[in-house]
Amino acid sequence: MHLSTRWGRWWEEDRWMGQLLILPMQLLIWFVLIIPMLIVIYLSLVSWQPIMGVDWWQAPFAGLRNYAQALQDQRFLSALGRTIGLVLAAVGLEFLLGLALALFFHYQEFPAKRIFSSIILYPMMLPWVVVGLCFYLLFLDKGPVNYVLIQLFGPGASVQWYQNPLLALMTIVLADIWQWTPFMFLVIYSGLGALPPEPVEAAMTLGASRWQIFRHIVLPMLKPVILIALIIRSLEAFKIFDLVYIMTGGGPGTSTESLSLYLYRTGFVYGQLSYAAAMALLVLILVALVARLMVRPLEMELESR
Amino acid sequence: MHKRTWVSGLIRWGIVLAISVLTLTPVVWVLSLSFKPPQEWLAYPPTLIPRQPTLENYLVLFWPGNPVGVVSEMVRTAEPVTRAFINSLIIVPISTALSIIIGFLAAYGISRFRAGGNFLPFSVLTTRMFPPIAFAVPLLVYYRSLGLIDTHLGLILMYTTFTLAFSLWMIKGFIDSVPRHIEEAAILDGASRWRVMFTITLPLIRGGLAAAALFVFIMNWTEFLFALIFTSRFAVTLPVQVSRYAGAVGRYYGPQAALGIVASIPVLVAGYMIQRYLVRAFTFGLVK
Repeated sequence: MHLSTRWGRWWEEDRWMGQLLILPMQLLIWFVLIIPMLIVIYLSLVSWQPIMGVDWWQAPFAGLRNYAQALQDQRFLSALGRTIGLVLAAVGLEFLLGLALALFFHYQEFPAKRIFSSIILYPMMLPWVVVGLCFYLLFLDKGPVNYVLIQLFGPGASVQWYQNPLLALMTIVLADIWQWTPFMFLVIYSGLGALPPEPVEAAMTLGASRWQIFRHIVLPMLKPVILIALIIRSLEAFKIFDLVYIMTGGGPGTSTESLSLYLYRTGFVYGQLSYAAAMALLVLILVALVARLMVRPLEMELESR
Repeated sequence: MHKRTWVSGLIRWGIVLAISVLTLTPVVWVLSLSFKPPQEWLAYPPTLIPRQPTLENYLVLFWPGNPVGVVSEMVRTAEPVTRAFINSLIIVPISTALSIIIGFLAAYGISRFRAGGNFLPFSVLTTRMFPPIAFAVPLLVYYRSLGLIDTHLGLILMYTTFTLAFSLWMIKGFIDSVPRHIEEAAILDGASRWRVMFTITLPLIRGGLAAAALFVFIMNWTEFLFALIFTSRFAVTLPVQVSRYAGAVGRYYGPQAALGIVASIPVLVAGYMIQRYLVRAFTFGLVK
């Protein structure tokens, strides 16, 4: 790679060309990411609201008061706990359903397989707000879900889904599962398709049962793919905002409020930007730690090959 | 033996059909609702096929004041979705193009020169790792000072940055798969490195670039949170209009359903065009 220096133009030297190529990206990242991150740290340490009439750099210093307030804020803590529970329930079920579907599609033969696998993919392309709207309309008091329930179990079976915190949360989880099970299916299915056939064939000639083959050969080989899918989906589900905003608005009361929705309201509806900044930083630290923990097994898996 | 395979085949078909029906039901229901006149929206018993199908729910989205019938009477006060539609058609393609161009340049620099070190590509991933609301708080402060609130430019900058992780990683995967000796041969023939990048490498990965562009288009078209926070009147996008329209017209389910369908069609078309790249796209090229 010493060829480029032959022309003697500085922008064709490897080092300069590389730097020039990444420059636009670096600029954007500084502008939209790094400078705002510095601002958020500063904001979290002062006490500022837009309605105070002073600019944000003139706000009085507050030390760690915003953080202390967040750690005692019941609404913040329950939104955090609720969001984690939502991630565990939704991603867990998406994984199990996606795995079952992928195994079914991989090992069973039936006509028009490709058409069916295309059909079940479409939910993950839809806008979140549209998925929220669809499920909101399905679970209306006089909507089709209640109609089916009444047909099956009699007139008493109709449920007011959005009046009960637990049921309202359930409709949100269901919407998330409906939209993202296809993602789990797609990733695991293509992972299965990419596995080398030899180990399975060898085990079969040695007389291993189907369960043994799955448990001790297929599953370990799939592990990296499964880990990647779980990490991406969990981080994505933790951001949940659109579905909650559209379907329940956090209600009844604040009983279905997700973390993102509470931060949105604190910062942009109630105008307490300093407090929202402190909570945002706490969330960033938490996500970074959890992401680190989740990436660790993946690294070990990749190092061991 | 013969009979047994016949029965198990039927069971397999049953399972597949049930899954497909479950997947299709929510959107088919909304599609049917979008063609129903008001008296059928909550009619009991509900029907899947509208008894008196109408296009009014769609017409009323774009001409709310135009008195064609009872629906437009009901939603006369709602604003038309035309502006949001046009805004999405301006903001999304521009930020998608910028994301792909900047992503391609950076991916080439990283793939061929290891520019920015080993950590740079991973630092870009943090834009996708953290909840966007955490970035929105400081960005609001910043954007207020710069006058970028409720502007197309403001959203374009954000959308470009927050989809860079996808374009960078996807395109880097495609560039990595182009063998270096092809480029080296061209350099030996006297072509400059920039020329090699644009006339040799770029054409070789154009299919991949198109797939990345369509995927970034989907991501930008469906984005809701930033648009909700950073726009109010002039730069409102379609997802915000979906949420706002639902609020403004109250229980006018027909037009809401119609707007949901209208907002989904572009991304469904884009999604099926890149179906075989979807795994790669959603996993940043980590799974191929």
